Amino acid sequence: MLFLLSRIKPQGTFETMRQIWEVLSHYEHHLVNFGTPNPNRDGGELHNLEQLKTTIDSRMIMAVFKDRETLTNCLKEIKARNFGISLVISGLYKEIGKTCAETGLSPHTVNLSLGIHGNTRRLPDENVLEIHTMCGHAMVSSKLILHLVEQIKKGRTTCEEAARELSRMCDCGIFNTCRAEKILQRMTVL
Amino acid sequence: MKIDQEKCTGCELCHPYCPVGAIVTVHRDGETVSEIDQAECVECGACNLRAHVCPTDAIYRPVLEWPRTLRETFSNPNAPHPSGSRGRGTEEMKTNDVTHRYPVGIAGVALEMGRPGVGASFRDIQTVAMTLASVGAEFEADNPVSALMTDRKTGVFREDVLGEKVLSAILEFKIANERLKDVLLSIKDAAARIDTIFSLGLISRVESDGSIPVEPIAREAGFLPRPNMKTNVGMGRPLLKEG
Repeated sequence: MLFLLSRIKPQGTFETMRQIWEVLSHYEHHLVNFGTPNPNRDGGELHNLEQLKTTIDSRMIMAVFKDRETLTNCLKEIKARNFGISLVISGLYKEIGKTCAETGLSPHTVNLSLGIHGNTRRLPDENVLEIHTMCGHAMVSSKLILHLVEQIKKGRTTCEEAARELSRMCDCGIFNTCRAEKILQRMTVL
Repeated sequence: MKIDQEKCTGCELCHPYCPVGAIVTVHRDGETVSEIDQAECVECGACNLRAHVCPTDAIYRPVLEWPRTLRETFSNPNAPHPSGSRGRGTEEMKTNDVTHRYPVGIAGVALEMGRPGVGASFRDIQTVAMTLASVGAEFEADNPVSALMTDRKTGVFREDVLGEKVLSAILEFKIANERLKDVLLSIKDAAARIDTIFSLGLISRVESDGSIPVEPIAREAGFLPRPNMKTNVGMGRPLLKEG
């Protein structure tokens, strides 16, 4: 489960975004990943919260949570601070409903996925697709996933290291390394 | 992207990092080197800006000229469009609590052409756009894909962009809920006539009881909404009110 915070204009809310990073830092050990799209940081290195607090161009903030309880606590704090920034949660709608109920929020607008259409024969298998789609910008290539699966099978890397290598390609910090590691374990079990 | 043939050692370390599989091995003058297929490359920069695996720093970004620049602005998340905006569509519902782009009774439809990971040419995108336009879709004005159309009411694109391939690009439009079913059926029709893929998203305001009014319409049209979705929880407010 992850959330995205978005501001609507490119100026005027730097201090607000910095304060949101401050709130997120209270939950750092319960985050799988976090980040912000940043035109000055091509390279997708794993992110550093202290650096992100001083990033001027935090137009959107992403954070991936390990569990719903932490997400709920974080949301309560953000709500109490009344930042006025749009907040989007991505995950199972039923679970989001529970979090909203516990924080006194109501779902406002949703974006439902109606699946993938067209020549779906061109898609990779389900496991690869599940990892690949964690980066909405498609920076995590299917070939890299399959290559790392082979490397794991040959004992040249571990599932954890491979998940981190895949995460490195995603600049936004939205890639779920924990889930990727579990899928890689499933794909490489003897 | 290109590979400096003088520097390349043919190690192939970069090959798996390309999201569209455009890096290939070639044998030339008795040497084995890697080369990037320029027809397939979408200029996303994954191979050099993100991967950083080339031991001789042989991968480089050449100077791009129009219309090839479109490949980069749609495929590299950090490359800005000429307007200064970034991305493959709009902020759609992420800020709907502030923008009210999608009011009650109006659905938003987003087709992310080429996603996930296959890519799409603007010719493919035009095929779908023209089908949607024929059933009344009027494409979002503030969207970088719509900006390439000669007419947003017909879905016809500029001739010079049709051959360009991008990692993905989002066709977006709004439609009244009562007309949604017909539009969704036309999307099925368009899907059968392209060689690429698209991810289909359906945006809607939520009722006070938590129900989603477009969900039964999607089911009637033969689509199965996934249980996971993006939900805007209504915390945004117009900046003017921040005081």
